[in-house]
Order: sequence, then C-alpha cells, then structure tokens
Amino acid sequence: MKKLIIDGIETEPNPEKTVLEVAKELGIYIPTLCYHKSLTPYGACRICIVEIIWKGRSMFHTACTYPAWEGEVRTNSELVRKIRKTILELMLAEAPDSPEIQELAKEYGAEKTRFRERDKANKKCILCGLCVRFCNDVMGVGAIGFKNRGASREIVTPFEEFSEVCTLCGACEFICPTDAFDVSTIAGEKPIPIPSEFDMGLTKRPSVYTPFPQAVPNIPVIDSEKCMFFQNETCRVCENVCEPDAIDFAQKEEKKEIEVGAIIVATGFDPFDASIKKEYAYSEYKNVITGLEFERLISASGPTRGEIVIDGKVPKQIVFIHCVGSRDESVGNEYCSRVCCMFIAKQAHLVNECIPNAEVTVLYTDMRAFGKGYEEFYDRVRMEGVIYRRGNPSEIYRKGEKLIVKAEDTILGEPVEIEADLVVLGTGIVPRNETEDIRKILKLSKSQDGFLLEAHPKLRPVDTALDGVFLAGCCQGPKDIPDTVAQAKGAASSAMSILTRGFVNIEPVVATTDENTCSGCGICEAACEYGALTLDSINRIMIVNEVLCKGCSACASACPSNAIVLKHYTPKQLLSQIEAILR
Amino acid sequence: MSKIRNISNLKELKEKLLKEKKKRFIVIPNGTCGRAKGSKEVSKAMVEKTKGLSVGFEIKITGCIGFCEVEPIVVILPDRITYVRVKEEDVQEILEAVKNNRIVERLLYKDPTTGNRFEKLEDIPFYKKQMPLIFGKNLEIDPKNILDYISQEGYTALAAVIEGMSPDTVIETIKKAGLRGRGGGGFPTGIKWESCRRAQGDIKYVICNADEGDPGAYMDRAVLEGNPHSVLEGMIIGAYAIGAHEGYIYVRQEYPLAVKHFTIALEQAREYGLLGENILGSGFNFDVKIARGGGAFVCGESTALMTSIEGRPGEPRAKHVHTVEKGLKEMPTTLNNVETWANVPLIINKGWKWYSSIGTEESKGTKIFSLVGKVNNTGLVEVPMGISLREIVYDIGGGIRGGKKLKAVQTGGPSGGCVPESLIDTPVDFDKLTEVGSMMGSGGMIVMDEDNCMVDIARYFVGFLKDESCGKCTPCREGLWQMDAILTDICDGKGKEDDIEILEDLAWLMKNCCLCQLGTTAANPLLTTLKYFREEYDAHIKEKRCPAGVCKALIRYSIDKDKCNGCGLCKLKCSVEAITGEKNEVHILDTEKCIKCGICYEICKFDAVVKE
Repeated sequence: MKKLIIDGIETEPNPEKTVLEVAKELGIYIPTLCYHKSLTPYGACRICIVEIIWKGRSMFHTACTYPAWEGEVRTNSELVRKIRKTILELMLAEAPDSPEIQELAKEYGAEKTRFRERDKANKKCILCGLCVRFCNDVMGVGAIGFKNRGASREIVTPFEEFSEVCTLCGACEFICPTDAFDVSTIAGEKPIPIPSEFDMGLTKRPSVYTPFPQAVPNIPVIDSEKCMFFQNETCRVCENVCEPDAIDFAQKEEKKEIEVGAIIVATGFDPFDASIKKEYAYSEYKNVITGLEFERLISASGPTRGEIVIDGKVPKQIVFIHCVGSRDESVGNEYCSRVCCMFIAKQAHLVNECIPNAEVTVLYTDMRAFGKGYEEFYDRVRMEGVIYRRGNPSEIYRKGEKLIVKAEDTILGEPVEIEADLVVLGTGIVPRNETEDIRKILKLSKSQDGFLLEAHPKLRPVDTALDGVFLAGCCQGPKDIPDTVAQAKGAASSAMSILTRGFVNIEPVVATTDENTCSGCGICEAACEYGALTLDSINRIMIVNEVLCKGCSACASACPSNAIVLKHYTPKQLLSQIEAILR
Repeated sequence: MSKIRNISNLKELKEKLLKEKKKRFIVIPNGTCGRAKGSKEVSKAMVEKTKGLSVGFEIKITGCIGFCEVEPIVVILPDRITYVRVKEEDVQEILEAVKNNRIVERLLYKDPTTGNRFEKLEDIPFYKKQMPLIFGKNLEIDPKNILDYISQEGYTALAAVIEGMSPDTVIETIKKAGLRGRGGGGFPTGIKWESCRRAQGDIKYVICNADEGDPGAYMDRAVLEGNPHSVLEGMIIGAYAIGAHEGYIYVRQEYPLAVKHFTIALEQAREYGLLGENILGSGFNFDVKIARGGGAFVCGESTALMTSIEGRPGEPRAKHVHTVEKGLKEMPTTLNNVETWANVPLIINKGWKWYSSIGTEESKGTKIFSLVGKVNNTGLVEVPMGISLREIVYDIGGGIRGGKKLKAVQTGGPSGGCVPESLIDTPVDFDKLTEVGSMMGSGGMIVMDEDNCMVDIARYFVGFLKDESCGKCTPCREGLWQMDAILTDICDGKGKEDDIEILEDLAWLMKNCCLCQLGTTAANPLLTTLKYFREEYDAHIKEKRCPAGVCKALIRYSIDKDKCNGCGLCKLKCSVEAITGEKNEVHILDTEKCIKCGICYEICKFDAVVKE
C-alpha cells in the first residue's frame, strides 16, 4: 500500500490535498505567511518549505503547493530549520520593523540578520502578495497590484493614485500577516469600522461575529447588512475557513408559529441616552463616557483588556455622576433607576484597584444602598478614599487638557469645580423601545413610567392582566440582578404551574354569540381588550375564545343587535333577577 | 497561387518550383545582426544597381548565416563564393566580378592568424567544423517566401506525417531520435509529447518559446528570422502528435523582425492550406497565434510564459503538476523552444536512425551556440553534440583575440556557469556541462580571457538576474539583492572575510528553495567562479587587489618613469586632466584626479602606463 509519512506519522497519500493540509489534519504545525485557505496556494514566501524524501533523495518543496503524494515528509528537520532561518534572516533585512517576523525569526534562532537592511519605504511588508491576491481573487476588486520586478517590487494602485475601485472593505489590512498594509494609503481614507455593540462601540467587530462572550446560543452570526457576500456576492472567506462547513449563506430569517401554554415577557431595558443631557457634553468629549462603556473598558475581556486608557492615556482624576436620566423631571423620568448608586460604587472601587493614587469623586443626589450588604460596600468604598459629594453637576466643559465638572455641593452649600481626566455618567434605565411592539401584540398595559404594568404591585408582581402572560426583569421596572433573578424565578414557576396542570380553569362568565342574530359587523372585536374575539369571515359570525375572555362584557355593551351576550348574564336573566328583587 | 488541397498537390508544387528554380543567386544575409553592421544598405545598393540590368542572378535577402563577426556578407550561389565585411561602395565591384565570372580577391575572408584567403563558404575555418543542419538552410531561403521553403524539402515532413504516421508513431520517432529540449533543461521531447498526449483535457496547446533572454544569445532570433517555416512545420507536427488544435508562439517584443517574418510565414502557410482547417486535406485543424512578450527574462520560464499569454503578469508558479498536464489555461500544454521545434521536420525527413547517429550517447543532434566574447570569430555556430569546448573556441572561434590567454567559457547564460580553461576539453552536451557545474542552457557561450575579472563576471550575472527576478519568492528576490550587494562590495574593495560563507549559504538556499528555475540556477555563475577561481575572490577580499585589473576601486594607474618618453598622447586623451608633463619629458599621473577610465593605459604605445 502506498504511504505518506509526515514526521513519522503514517497516513494515506491524497494528491487532491497539499502536504500542508494533510499535516494540519495530523496536528503538525508548519509555519506559513503567504498562505490563506481561500486563495490558490502561491508559494512565494517559502517559509513552509519541507524536506521531501523520495527514492533516498532529499528535496525541498513548499508544503502549501506540494501535493500529498506518497513518500516521506520532514517538516522540521535540521535542514528545514536552516532554510527557514536563512529565509527569515532575509525577511528581517527586508521587513525589519515587523514584530511578527522578528518573533518567527527568534523561533528559528535568527535573533539578528547577517544581511544588510533593505532601503525600502515599507519596513514591514514581505511582499507575500496576500493583499493583492485577496483584493483581486476573493473580493473581486483588484484595486492593488505589483509594480516593478525583483527587489524593486512594490504594492501599489494603478498609476499610484488613490484607488477609484477600492470598496474600503479592509480585507487587505486584515489579511496582511505582518500588519504592513494601510488601506488609507491606497484609498485616501480609512474603512469605517463596524462598532462592536457589546463593547459599546469602543472597538470594531467583523461582519461575522459572536454577539458577546457566553452568548446563548454561543454561535457566530453574520451581519447581512455588512457582509461583503450579501452586499456584492464576493468574499465567502468564512465559508472557506470553517472546517465543520457550518456557514450557510442561504439561511434566511423565518417566522414561526408556536403554540404555547404561557408567555414570559423579559425584554429588558435601554440605557438612558446620555446625549440628551446636553450639559454633560457626552457627545462632545471623548473622555465623558457612560457607565456601561466604563464597564467594558474595565472588563478583562474588553477592548483594552481591563486597562483604563482614554486616548492612550491613563486618567488620574475621575468623576462619577449619579442619576443621569433618573429622578429627573427634565427628561421625563421621575423614577429611580435603582442600580446606578451601586454600580458606580463598584466602578469607583475598581478604579482604585486599577489606577494607584487615582483621585475619584462621586457626585450623588441621594445614596440608595438598599440591598443586602450594599451599605457595607458603600462604606468600604468611601474608606478606600473615594470622595462622595452631594450635588448634581450643572455643566461639564474643557479647560486645557482637563475637563471641569461644575456643581453645587449641597451639603457645604457652595459651588464646586472639579478637575477630571475622565467623567463617567451613571446612566439610568429606560423602557426598551422594542418592548412597545410586544406590548401591543399581547395587549398589555404600561404604567406611567413607561414600563409594563403588573397585575398587582404587591400581590401579583409577576402576573399581567392577561392570564398566562408573566413579566420578568427590567421590562417591568428598573431592578438589579438579584431582583431580576427573583422575579424571573417567580415568573417561571407561575408559568410552570399552568403548564404542569395541563388545563386552565376559566371563569364560567364568558361572552357567547347568538348565531342567528350576529351579523359579523366586527364592532365587538374592536371593543375587546383581551383579543378574545375573532371573526369567522366565511360564516360572518364572531367566535369567542373562552380562555381569553375575561367576561368584562365590553362586547355585549358594544353590540348593536344584542347578538353577543355574557353567559349567565343574558338580558333575559338580568331582567328576571331584577324582577325577583322587586318582588 | 492556390490552396494545397492534398499531399500530391504539395509534391506537384515542389516539382514545379524545382523546375522553375533559377540556378544563380546573390545572397545577402539580412538578419538583425547583419543590419546592425550595414547589410541593409548593402542589399539596397545591390537591388538598385541591378535594376533593369540582366545579370542572370537573382538577389536573395536571407536571414543570418552565422558568421556575424564579418558581416555584411555576400554569397554568390551556387559557387558559394563568400565576400565579407562588404560595404555599399563594394557592390559595383562584386556585380562586375559576378558578371565576368571573376572573384574580388580583397573582399574574401582572410584568416587573421595565417593570412590565408578563402573563396568558398565551407572552406572558411569558422564553418569547417560546423554541422549546419538547422541553420544551413538560412543561406538558401528567403524567409518571406514560403515557396523557397517548399522547394527546399519544406513541409515534406508534415506531408509524410499526415500521409502515413499515426500520432503515436510520430512520438515514437521523436523519442527514438533522442531529441532533447534546446531551451536549457534538456528534457526528452518525445516523452514530453507522450505525457501531453496522454493527459486528460478537451483542449490541448502547443507553444513555441521564443522568449530568448540570455544576454549575448540570439540563436532563436536567427532561426525565426531566417527560417520561420521550419519552426512552424515542427509545431504543426507536434500539434498533430499530441492532438492540439491551437498553438502559440511567444516572441519577445524586442525581436520585431522575427515577429514580422513569422507573421508572414503564418499568413502564407494559411493561404497555402498548410495551417488552419483541414491541413493538406487530412481533416486535421491547427492554427498558431503570436503572443508578444514585454521582454521580461523570467517569461522564458514555462509557467511564467503561460501566465503571460493568459494576460497576467509573468510570474512562475509551482510545477509539481507538470505543464503537460496542466499548462496554459489549466489545459495540457507542450512547450518547446524554437530550436527544438526546428529539429522536428529534420528528424521526420531523415529518420530517427540518422538523427541519433549524430551527437553523444545522451545528447543527440546538433546545437546552435552564440559564440561571443573575447574570441576572434563571433557569431552563431551549429555543432554536433559532444564537440569539445576547445574545438569551438579555437577551431571555430579562431582563438582568443589579441593572442591573450583563455580564462573561462561561460555557458548557459545567466543561469549557467563558467567553465575554466583547465576543463576546456569538456565535451559539450547536456550532461557533461552540468557535471562541471555549468549547463547547456539555450546556447549562450561567452569566451573570457585573462582581462576578465571573475568576481566582476559573477557580479554582472547576479546583477542581471537581480533585475530580472520577478520578485515573487523571497529567496530569489531578496537573496539576489543581498548577493549583488555583497559582490559589489567585494569588487569595491569592501569585502569581508565572512562574505564568502554568507554567499555560499545564500547560494545553497536559492539552489534548493526558489520557486522556479531562474532562482534555483541563479547562483551558478557565483558557484562556478567560486569553485574554479577562488583565488581571485581571496585577492579581492584579503589583499584588496583585482588580479585582472577590472574592478576600478582596486586598481591604480601610474606612469613608469623609465618607459615614458613624453609623447603627450595620454595627457591629450585624459578627460579629467590628471596627467601633466612637458613635451618629451616624463609625465606624471595625479591619482587624486584619476577616474580610472583606463584610456591612457590603452593608448600608450610604450607600455609606460602601469596598472596595479
């Protein structure tokens, strides 16, 4: 039987694949620079060279181009390492400023190069051609190409003018193995990055991405509005590199009808739009940020890996402001958002941990440390040196390099001006915009503050007026995590109690239609608050869903021909009762 | 003129042409090489002078006949009387001599060493040891007239193939003849054709590689200019054998005359039904297109050439799967060099047995070389394989110019190597040249004497390749740049002790790791000069001395007080006024001002200028 032996591992030859591909399947690492799965192998950088032993002779071929024929392959023999070392020395002379090349060179023992440094404008480019081939072969644009031959080779646009065809897709920058390409040099402008929603726009994200760590389900999604395939039918790189072959461009969003026994509404909230509070100049200064943005900034998985850095600088003076968009009649939110006091306390505490000697000032309205252990934590933060001053700022403005936060200290009763490198706004919770759609579909009510209304604030806090529909979390009103969890559990068990029973008890007093008199005019349907009436358009009779009907008799009063009545409360029965009383 | 519809038509035409053929010609070779020396003016004068006169001779303008050193040449046929270095004003005299059956003695070739004059072409020492099987017909064929070719056995091979040979028989014949590719690699042509015939593909291509790029080599140009139909006939036979219906000839833009003659050849062949649909009534279709190269050396590499034809930048690609299986447009493709194609009709016409009797065990037939450099007779020489370098340089080439000593012969172009004087008896064939570290290549042969610095030669070729590398793969692009920089340093007297080791490392890397043959062979000139002339490198690096006196930075001119008689010639010629001195008194050379141009050294008749 024919055999292919790679580094001592026997496998079957497969001329359809390359040595590189087969080695990868066997878990053998071969370094590459000019290779990319979605491109035809180019064999230019030569770094993937391997030793092929055939009939006792030793030959050297690039693994990315050499078919996986029978024979023996050594991917890391002494001679291979010698070759890679010399090639990397040449690359060090060619691209001395590339950390990627320096690192790879170190791996092969080439700390320094014996060759003289090339006099080239781009000190990172190794002319692997990935950008050129990607732009042309994958993106179908062909904005860049090679100029000149040999050592004078360069990557340029036609006539070295700003490209007219470049779509600013940024693939060239993305694909460059040595970070040598700057698309603005060929297009005259930078690509507009797609802001990462999860990182509050502090970083960019690709068109195919996992919404956030530990997302459920933890599966990447394609942003069809940004994806080059959906825009121009090009690219398809994700499809090429996805080994389990999971990318399916034919997938479309679909509508599904599901029959359910209970519904829990848990649509969440929107953070308050801080730009509404013009005096805080949120849209104006880069170093005025919201609490959520700060949360990403300080997160170890965030854009700065947990370092608090604004514009490349570590802020020393930080001011937190409470009640931004809460307890504020001027923006129409009279309620307290309940979470801001404590998240600001936590963030102030973290600043103290991250930035030694930071001056942290918190401007608050009233301190509401209501939960278990909250007050103790608040005390601790104050003990750590965070200064709490009572009073809402009236203005934030720039003075030189600093921001000035102007406020009145209502305890001292005097105006204060605090210098800051960074201002964090404790933005509150507002009802989520999209919740309104669901509310209308489910015919739920909302309270004055705009959040969904529960059936009873004290006795039925997770129920709604609609049987089988429950509320959980901030859609019902601002709450912190423990409260949300508690409410969610309540909603879940309420739903379960209906589902496990398998049936529902309904009130006997529900509406009923008299088939002989109903004309199907539809007036009662409009009057029903609970969506219990549907018109049978063929027979032109109103049908009552007895499960949904609350027996409010709005339909009965609206019906011009008395065709719809409440069971047990027909006009005849009512009149008989009146008669009996009068007797 | 009418289309040749079948083989008997062709035979009839040939008979008719032979009957009508005039016996007497005045031949004026007019290749690009000849034109550079004024052959066009001579032929023009000849045509004008004979206008209206009946001299009984027809004037025939042909392609190069090889002896470029002495062009313009005029040959009188059938006596083959040869006049060399003819000028416009000599035309009248030649015409009169022809008329009166006399010979113009002063225009005959004179051997520079013996002083003997030779009347007939084949008696000239330059031609004596040659075997002009491919090249010989240039003398008798007007490349712009297909009838000339037909009357000279032209297209008989094609007729024979179509009449009675299956494609397999053709391939078998070429295999048995032992023809190997003349472009440099020396791959057996028959095997190449057979693999291409067997390869899977609806469309197959044949390509003629006429992208001759080696500095100082112009064999292919001379064949295309002088006998384009022989190449075309070879291609048609090849296409028939492998089952191709489309062909390309890739000619470099710098060969306008070759393009012109080949274009005419294509048009005429189509007119006569020898190309296009239903060739010679056989039902076999084949046509050829001309693709012009932009002059990149790397496009002589087969895959780069094919990418160039496809309309993309000429860059080679990995050839693990051979081009006979996946070549032009991913289809099976047979690519052969001009000279290889031109050999095909010859083999068919004369049989493989005859052909394989010429040459050596492994290399059959003849090879055309362009013999240039410090040799007395420069030009194109066609010799049987196996002839020694000595015979080429001394017998055909007439020895070294100015009686100097031979140092080395560079063969195979920039990818070849330098064969030193000590190996001058090496037989010239594919394998023997490879054994000594050089290669046959496409047939460039540069003779170097004691005045050539081998470090400088290596630097020249490395520099040439540095500029001609396509720049795709790292070892070639960067390796050649570094190699060139180090060699330039050595020539400039800035060489360091460890330079040789670095050069050897680079050479090893390139030999093993470059993408295409340009890169893998690029170090050959360096390696052979290092192997055979190590002492010259050492002299440059350790002693800061150029033994041949070529590297400007390492030489110094001075005036020998004892020899200078104050003639003043050097002072007069010095462009930077570095030489001073009164008439008839010893002159002085100011080394500060001297730019080392060497003019004083060359013109001093008393050897008073000394080069150190």
